[in-house]
Amino acid sequence: MAKIQVNGNEQEVEAPISLIDLIKKNDVAQPEMVSVQINGEFLPRENFSSILVNDGDEVDFLYFMGGGSVC
Amino acid sequence: MLKNNGFTTKLIHSPFAKEDPNRALHQPIYSNSAFDFESAEQMELAFQGRLPVHSYSRISNPTVENFELRVKQITGSLNVTALSSGMAAISNVIFVLASAGSNIIASKHLFGNTYVFFESTIKDFGIEIRFCDLTNTDEIRENIDEKTVAVFVETITNPQLEVVDLKTLARTAHENNVPLIADSTLTPPNVFNAKEFGVDIEVISSTKCISGGATSVGGLIVDYGTFEWNKSEKLASLAKRFGPFAFNYKLRREIFRNLGACMSPFAAYLQSLGLETLQLRFEKAARNCRELAGFLETVTQIKTVNYPGTISSPFYEISKRQFGEFPGAMLTFDFATRDDCFAFLNKLELIKRATNVYDNKTLIIHPASTIYCDFDRETRENLGVSDLTLRLSVGIEDVEDLKADIIQALI
Repeated sequence: MAKIQVNGNEQEVEAPISLIDLIKKNDVAQPEMVSVQINGEFLPRENFSSILVNDGDEVDFLYFMGGGSVC
Repeated sequence: MLKNNGFTTKLIHSPFAKEDPNRALHQPIYSNSAFDFESAEQMELAFQGRLPVHSYSRISNPTVENFELRVKQITGSLNVTALSSGMAAISNVIFVLASAGSNIIASKHLFGNTYVFFESTIKDFGIEIRFCDLTNTDEIRENIDEKTVAVFVETITNPQLEVVDLKTLARTAHENNVPLIADSTLTPPNVFNAKEFGVDIEVISSTKCISGGATSVGGLIVDYGTFEWNKSEKLASLAKRFGPFAFNYKLRREIFRNLGACMSPFAAYLQSLGLETLQLRFEKAARNCRELAGFLETVTQIKTVNYPGTISSPFYEISKRQFGEFPGAMLTFDFATRDDCFAFLNKLELIKRATNVYDNKTLIIHPASTIYCDFDRETRENLGVSDLTLRLSVGIEDVEDLKADIIQALI
């Protein structure tokens, strides 16, 4: 198990977990609109399924309301 | 699954951000100001940008968002913001990029209000405009320095109808770590792929063709996410946190919400409908325009005709490369005297004397005595605005009726 921060809240997950699985696990609203930062760095959308979230990572799901936000 | 890659197909079938509870086929008009939250926690998350919900319509609104997402779909851009007018789009972009002490490179050949905004309004805030010939790479290089925050260009200048080689201009800007901002109002996204030509930020007066033929006033900022904002002194710290979203973050989280020039939901609804028929209307108007340009060239009373889509234009080749066979639906033509211009204007019956462009109706104006009336003759000449020129924005009427009106007004 790994301890990570998701939107500022501590969460335990079975590591390693892919970012796409973390999005599903957290039931992230409108996943096609979300931008994701891990440890302060924005990640390209096409890499969501290959990126692994590790112990101690800080993950933020963010939205720029309006016509934006898909990276 | 079908790809649906055609411009209009992609546009018409672009999905809503959220499924409509009544399965409406058009995004309904949310004309309200504020939105409710289930809990304080949800409200906190929303204000932090961690929930995809709306809070206040000056900041975002479902109807406006739908319009923005449709524009995003057809432009292949990273972010789109809809505003209350094209001038609001330009001013918001400049306030994101520039501070006191910054400078901007632009051609003098600009839409009248843009020229005054650059030459007077932002000068008072300590931002300098360096007017250059944007076809002259050496002149641009000589004027760019470490305080230059943007190169600004109109894809077809209004009313001079000049066309710059955008790929060359983009290369010059980028070699000097400066983004290229293009006002593409006269060449909407169905004929001009801004990203392909190196434009980083596109501004559009959606009042014109996009609105459905002048149904409402609006503007767009289209951010392609192509510029590395760590090269911008003002946005470098945001670029560390937000990467390609740095411009959009500064815009949406600060400048846009604080200047308050948001698009109204009703305008967004009209413009979203207008967008659906953009290609159809544009093609008809542009074909009419090209035919009228050819026709006007045969009229003896008319001294010169200017339309980048005719072979006689010095910009024909570059225009064709950038915008295809039909570069817009606006042309200009000159009479021998100012009195001849006014006499012709006064005799027109079908064509309207009005100041907009890309209405469904054909509109005509004498730019020197109207849009540029606050400038003296010398300044007007310097801006390439002649007393002898009329500007014709061609609509979607039957072209033979337009010819007939022109012929009867010449007699």
